[in-house]
Amino acid sequence: MGEVILTMKGIDKSFPGVHALDHVDLEVKKGEVHALMGENGAGKSTLMKVLTGIYKKDAGTITYEGADVEFNNPRDAQAAGVVIVHQELNMLGHLSVAQNIFIGREIKKGGLIDDGAMNAEAAKLFEKLNININPREKMSRLTVGKQQMCEIAKAISHEAKVIVFDEPTAALTETEIEELFKIIRDLRSKELGIIYISHRMDEINVITDRVTVMRDGGYVGTLITKDSIKDDIINMMVGRVIYEDPKTQSMVPADAPVVLKVENLSAGKMVKDVSFELKKGEILGFSGLMGAGRTETARALFGADKKESGDIYINGAKVEIHNPMDAVQHGIGYLSEDRKRFGIITEKTVAENSTLACLEEYMSGVFINRAKENKVAAEYVEQLKTKTPGVDQLVVNLSGGNQQKVVIAKWLIKDCEILIFDEPTRGIDVGAKSEIYHLMSELAAEGKSIIMISSEMTEILRMSDRVIVMCEGRKTGEIEIAEATQEKIMHAATMRN
Amino acid sequence: MEKDIRKGNAFTNNPVVKAIGTQKIVVVLVLIALFGFFCVMSPSFRQYSTIVSILDYSYYISFMAIGVTFCLITGGVDLSIGTGMVCCGLVGGYLINVKGLPVMVGILGAIVIGLLFGLMNGILVAALNLPPFIATLGTMMVARGFGSIATGGLSQTWPAAASENGWFRSIFKIDMGDMMIPIGFLWVILLVLVMSLVLNKTKIGRYIIAIGSNKEATRLSGVNVVKYQMSAYIISGLFTGLAGIAYAATFQAVAPGTGAGLELDAIGGAIIGGTSMNGGMGSIAGSLLGVFIMSMLKTGLPYIGLQANWQQIITCIVLILAVFIDVQKNRKME
Amino acid sequence: MKRFKNSVLVKKMGLNRVVLLGVLILMYIIFTVLSPDFMNYSRILSALNYAYFLGFLAFGVTFVIGTGGIDFSIGPVMFAASLIGGQLLTKNGLPTILCLLVSICVGMLFGVLNGFLVAYCSLPSFITSMAIMQLAKGVGSVFTKTQSISWPQGAEANGWYRNLIKVNIGGMQVPTGLIILLIAAVILSAVLTRTKAGRYILCIGSNREAVRLSGVNVKKWEMLAYIICGTCAGIAAIFYVGAYTTVQPGLGDTFNNEAIAGCVMGGTSMAGGLASIGGSFIGVMIVSLLQEGILAMGFQKDYQYLITGIIVICAVYADIRSRRRRN
Repeated sequence: MGEVILTMKGIDKSFPGVHALDHVDLEVKKGEVHALMGENGAGKSTLMKVLTGIYKKDAGTITYEGADVEFNNPRDAQAAGVVIVHQELNMLGHLSVAQNIFIGREIKKGGLIDDGAMNAEAAKLFEKLNININPREKMSRLTVGKQQMCEIAKAISHEAKVIVFDEPTAALTETEIEELFKIIRDLRSKELGIIYISHRMDEINVITDRVTVMRDGGYVGTLITKDSIKDDIINMMVGRVIYEDPKTQSMVPADAPVVLKVENLSAGKMVKDVSFELKKGEILGFSGLMGAGRTETARALFGADKKESGDIYINGAKVEIHNPMDAVQHGIGYLSEDRKRFGIITEKTVAENSTLACLEEYMSGVFINRAKENKVAAEYVEQLKTKTPGVDQLVVNLSGGNQQKVVIAKWLIKDCEILIFDEPTRGIDVGAKSEIYHLMSELAAEGKSIIMISSEMTEILRMSDRVIVMCEGRKTGEIEIAEATQEKIMHAATMRN
Repeated sequence: MEKDIRKGNAFTNNPVVKAIGTQKIVVVLVLIALFGFFCVMSPSFRQYSTIVSILDYSYYISFMAIGVTFCLITGGVDLSIGTGMVCCGLVGGYLINVKGLPVMVGILGAIVIGLLFGLMNGILVAALNLPPFIATLGTMMVARGFGSIATGGLSQTWPAAASENGWFRSIFKIDMGDMMIPIGFLWVILLVLVMSLVLNKTKIGRYIIAIGSNKEATRLSGVNVVKYQMSAYIISGLFTGLAGIAYAATFQAVAPGTGAGLELDAIGGAIIGGTSMNGGMGSIAGSLLGVFIMSMLKTGLPYIGLQANWQQIITCIVLILAVFIDVQKNRKME
Repeated sequence: MKRFKNSVLVKKMGLNRVVLLGVLILMYIIFTVLSPDFMNYSRILSALNYAYFLGFLAFGVTFVIGTGGIDFSIGPVMFAASLIGGQLLTKNGLPTILCLLVSICVGMLFGVLNGFLVAYCSLPSFITSMAIMQLAKGVGSVFTKTQSISWPQGAEANGWYRNLIKVNIGGMQVPTGLIILLIAAVILSAVLTRTKAGRYILCIGSNREAVRLSGVNVKKWEMLAYIICGTCAGIAAIFYVGAYTTVQPGLGDTFNNEAIAGCVMGGTSMAGGLASIGGSFIGVMIVSLLQEGILAMGFQKDYQYLITGIIVICAVYADIRSRRRRN
């Protein structure tokens, strides 16, 4: 490791209602692989967005190559040599590898694009990096791993001096990970500064020199990798004081019947042979890091996505769920995590959104019984304390948190027996959060069964009767609330078979 | 090399097949099969004059198809090419017949009108972000109205081959007494080659493909996507103008109020030839082949006793099949 | 200005529609000024004749645009319906009432086909409906062996259907068609805004996936929109022949554009989710008045194409701007 190439000091960034970064420090040296770790929402990607100019920082300094800098956009950052290799690759699938690498700066000969020269340059680049890819191949035909290597090569070709890898190994096979590490080691030997964002402990151990841990938007500390153990890091990631009382005991009687049983559910790459049970009146927390496959599991269960295999039993009887219609008919409701894309109907009112899942019950003859609809919508506005001038207000005009409440109301009005809440309090302020917690507890007490997917540790510990932990598509832990601790959950969440 | 390359089978992974493109090979085979079918079914089909009339019909459609392929590759479409072509032909004819200007001016006039429509479409779609199909629909209506108004509602007949100004007709067809030589075909091939080069080897073409593949990624790479998306529509406009000239040269009169519906032949031909409506993928040569299939169907059906109205039904079926296959193709890519 | 925006009339009808109504009245005044004999009753009837069939076309396609799709086949489908019905009437001698029903059924069948391809096969609506447009042209032409069909005159025995458009009461022509159109508008508006079908159709246009995840059978309701559209085209056929008697195969696509222009003018958004029958009604009136006025002033119909094209572009642009502002 050489001298420092990048220093971020005292970085502060707030959004309306959220203090995303609170005096965060990060220091990267030349020839170093520096890991950046933290739970979901710890602020890792926000910090990187501030670095590359997607967000403007509110306070703090960024020193790059000895000078104070502030990039206005990713292209400026790239021009200066600071590049991110994203998790979602931003590539042109229909063009070839070489064409992708040189997009915007094509090599020309006599007025026409010289693909031959670009292919040769790309081949040279790949050779330097020890990557085995044919530059003539169409991008979409490569595996994800190879596509990622092209992104890396592209970054290098822009003469990068600092490269940020954001969860680079999420979609790679073991062999590809080995190849990636070879490249990273090579880059390190060439005195580049590398920031490596990942939750995979074993990889951190193998490839990184130092680890910086963030938690809840704040900087916790920096360790030297070879001098630390996994538990140290986990402690730093979760070592917060929990102000709300966690649940200490399950509210579910031991003889409660099993309302939902899922066996060997497999769907795509994100759900691998998941099995679990849900008891009547239980709140089952689903914990795990981003990409663990919880949402995908829920969607496969709900019929929203195709599944390859899996048996679902409701109240002991096997049911066939191939689409959301089947699921809803069997009494399952799913509150999606992305309410803007999958939750609300923007052009419609609060009342109209509320009855969408069970409109048949609000008909009088052929017409919709608006009075009845408005009445029930108003009831739930009251109960959930949704801030809206009236039930005939367009949902798009409400704030995010209140939009969420409208979507919750939709499933409550449908009166499902089994509710899947995917990140129910995301983007909701503290006051509204406790209203929703209160509501969930009431529902459970009434006998409804709830699966709650959450990335907030405090929420999991406060609400769940039992916690299921997933990691990369597999169920890696099942813990009764009485025995659950942050450390145990995080341990399972980072356990890759 | 492990499993670098996504699944393909022996046929599609063959280097020659990959270079040409599977779809195009299939289209050629279908073309040959169709030709054979018609020849077998009808002896009168097997005449030289039939081929000439197939080609006659295909010139202006080919030009339209070449142009609209660029729009399709950006993920958009240009519905104004049909009435636009007629408008160009009308204005050009007007300049020659009514204003007495030389034929060359008429030709240039047609091209300029086409470019103007292309510019209009380009501004609406690329700069103002209107959905392409409704924006070009609007242009289509404007073109239809404008063409008629400019010529006072009268058909325009460009100079006949025999007259002194009729030289431009021999660009497309040379009358050797008892035999017509369709050299227009050579122009089409030439333009296909040139535009293929533009698509694959120039910045304009490269960025048009990139925009169709992933507009945001292209923008983030520093490319001026507004400018290049607009270029696609201007190219389409240019070829609309050329199509107008070809139409006027191969037929007797250009009548106002016609043209609507012809764009479907061009667009259908492009989709059959492998250009995807989702963008990012397309081939000029493929579009030409697709146009030939449509053209062959139209010309050949009467020979097996199906009148013109059956053409429309067959066109519909072929178009739906082509779109269906395109949708499936895209689904597989995801 | 703010008082105007908050007045009772505007709140009830929507700012958009009040403006539109204003445009309609303004247009009428302008035409009257420019062409002195414009303000006579027969001109109004003539404009109305145009509005009846166009109105039904527009009402139908409003549902489709509401789902976020488009239907370019409506004009030729209307023609195919009237060709087939007319052929059965004049050449095969079937009773008028049956032929009217056949027309409606033909429209409905095309709607079913369109709806199936778009909703169940997931084909893009604009290219699919354009292909169906060709199909309709071809089918109509094949059925009548490329002959034009003329429906019976009012005076003839089976010409009673003309009363649907116009009735002669004591020397004065009463536009019964207008009454029927208004009733249809009220019914269809109720369907769109107050029934399950209408609710689902508009929600699908706004956010298809959210509706699917709420357990609704999205495909079924999307297809229904196309069936309604096709059926309306079949009904439009009756009003077309009632006013214009003769139908020629192979034509009809100009009406597509005018119907769509009427919808878009009336506030129906191409992006889906926002649709209004009342708006389409006024939009169609504007288009009909426009084409009548242009003819009255001695200009060719081509000016109408030109102006309609410009109107469509402006209306869609305005729609996009207002959407962007909202989001």
